[in-house]
Amino acid sequence: MSENKPTCKDVMSHICDNLGEELSSPKCIEIKAHLEKCESCKKYFNSVDNTILFYKKYDVTLSNEAHKRLIEFLGLSE
Amino acid sequence: MEEQTLIEQAQHGDKKALTELVKMYEQTVYNFSYKICRHKDRAENTMQETFLSMVKNIKQFSGESKLSTWLYRVVSNHCLMLARTEGKFNYESIENDEALIDEKNIADWKITPEKITENNELRTILDDAIQKLPADYRIVFTLRDVEGLSTEETAKIVELTIPATKSRLHRARAFLRNELNKKLHYE
Repeated sequence: MSENKPTCKDVMSHICDNLGEELSSPKCIEIKAHLEKCESCKKYFNSVDNTILFYKKYDVTLSNEAHKRLIEFLGLSE
Repeated sequence: MEEQTLIEQAQHGDKKALTELVKMYEQTVYNFSYKICRHKDRAENTMQETFLSMVKNIKQFSGESKLSTWLYRVVSNHCLMLARTEGKFNYESIENDEALIDEKNIADWKITPEKITENNELRTILDDAIQKLPADYRIVFTLRDVEGLSTEETAKIVELTIPATKSRLHRARAFLRNELNKKLHYE
């Protein structure tokens, strides 16, 4: 990142680096200030945030049959 | 019963305690395996192999790390081994710094994460996107962002330094975002 104001690309890269971290360095404060004013970076932030949320919410459930096969495979009983 | 007590009983050959440990973690292990393999039969096979390893090695488990951390590591290694035998990933697109941060295609998305449970097409889009991600990046992304482990725990499981773990996470997030953006943004 340059010593001056961060560019949109700097901000987007920073989002991918630090999403979910609580950071309070001068660089992070500048990034947050940019983010509040820049619509493109806000949208980019939302899309990265949503990417994570999509995968977080995508769960699969172990079926009873698969559970029984596992217990049998391990030679255990209930 | 407390996990630690169950582990100690299992280490002394108590099969009931072993069964309880399996039941305690089977959903987590299956879910994580599925998220890495993206295939139900493979996820089930990985889950079975992971618990078989736990049953065989429970006596050597020292308790220095959490049992969940140890299970995550076994799943990760198993999936990496499978991925290496296939050897089909193209690292070019994820290691190209210039293309990774796509500042030209910025738009709102037409669907929100809340729709995931009711939308099979969306699940296919998510499966296709993450399958393009090399397995070692997929594991870091899933552990840190999806399972919610700390960067330190993730680094320990994948046996990478913290900067290397962060770098993979950065690239995985940007890559997946770009892949989903191609399908989900408004025209």
